[in-house]
Amino acid sequence: MGLKYIQPAPGFKEYLPKDYVDLIDFGPFGKEVDVQYMGQYKEILEEHPMCAGCWMAYFVRVFYASLPNPEDTIVIGTAGCARLALSQAAVPFIYGNYGDTNAVASGLTRALNIRFPDKNKDVVVVAGDGGLMDIGFSMTLHSWFRKEKFTTIMVDNEVYGNTGGQESGMSPKGVQLKMAPKGKKFEKIPATELAKLAGCVYVVKIAPTNIKRVAKVIKRAVLAARHFGPTFIHAYTSCNIEYSIPTEEVLKDAREREKKDFGFEEYMTDEVREYFEEIEKKEKEAKAKK
Amino acid sequence: MYYVARVDEEKCATYKCKQCTLFCPEANTLMFDDDRNTAWVNEPRCKGCALCVYVCSDLLKRDCIEMVMVTAED
Ligand SMILES: Cc1ncc(C[n+]2csc(CCOP(=O)(O)OP(=O)(O)O)c2C)c(N)n1
Ligand code: SF4
Repeated sequence: MGLKYIQPAPGFKEYLPKDYVDLIDFGPFGKEVDVQYMGQYKEILEEHPMCAGCWMAYFVRVFYASLPNPEDTIVIGTAGCARLALSQAAVPFIYGNYGDTNAVASGLTRALNIRFPDKNKDVVVVAGDGGLMDIGFSMTLHSWFRKEKFTTIMVDNEVYGNTGGQESGMSPKGVQLKMAPKGKKFEKIPATELAKLAGCVYVVKIAPTNIKRVAKVIKRAVLAARHFGPTFIHAYTSCNIEYSIPTEEVLKDAREREKKDFGFEEYMTDEVREYFEEIEKKEKEAKAKK
Repeated sequence: MYYVARVDEEKCATYKCKQCTLFCPEANTLMFDDDRNTAWVNEPRCKGCALCVYVCSDLLKRDCIEMVMVTAED
């Protein structure tokens, strides 16, 4: 990781695949590209096998476009849909065993701190609701209790999508799924409440409908994790297959869910709030100068 | 045969809104060309979901994108 690894050795550039060269010439490495320019530069995410019109795939796209320092970031994923795209980007990706992501991320974050004590290296877990709140529940919660400094992002499609539609702890009460034909009998797990109780310093619940806001919270979550402690984003990323949403209506569904039960929530400790105020003030001043 | 999105570039250039490029789930697919002022689709990467049509037609009422069938030769 680091900018030096992205630049090809002298004389080699002309032999590299076009997509790689485009990434060097028109990619976001080493500069801050606002998420609003998506579609106007070479994004670090490549082609991947996630389904057509998948809102989780969309979230992964925005996620990579929002990282404050992609060249110094390691992404950890696991079994589940998101890793199909997460692993197809020009950012180091580690496949944590299912349920183990937050244990892997804990060790990695500590190791990076020892190896690069004077540099910022960001670790971000992106995994499904099953991976983080069911099978990985204890690893997730304990990483928060231990105040491990990395970001956890739960891409919540309210089902085990990758394995064909089993009910998850995050499925809403009453919902009928292919492998939960009688309807779910229990409430959705209050993940953000658990995160706050367990000691996360920055917690967000969001339905990705407003790209600027998504980018802002991803950046904030990564920066707060660098300096203060665990951070958590709970994102609604529907499964159009298991929930039978026509692909062209996936955004409409997200907007409806946002109004109904996925309204934007952002929590942070006082310390984190002061930090954001300070850096965002500095950014504004720098912009004004330009 | 593939089902892909196609932009009416002349019409799109009258708006220059770039909104569709922010909602395509695929990266490096629905692009904006600054010189010609229009969105355009990198067709081999398009998965045919029609989300961009929803944004352009249903939300913005601009109707600049339509879904078309293309064959490998196109
Ligand atoms: C230790 C282990 N247990 C079970 C599995 C099987 N498995 C693969 S994906 C998956 C469910 C994924 O659901 P979720 O985490 O919600 O992600 P989604 O696919 O819905 O995005 C399961 C149970 C596995 N790969 N490893
Ligand atoms: S149809 Fe879907 S994949 Fe194709 S350009 Fe439109 S939003 Fe992107």
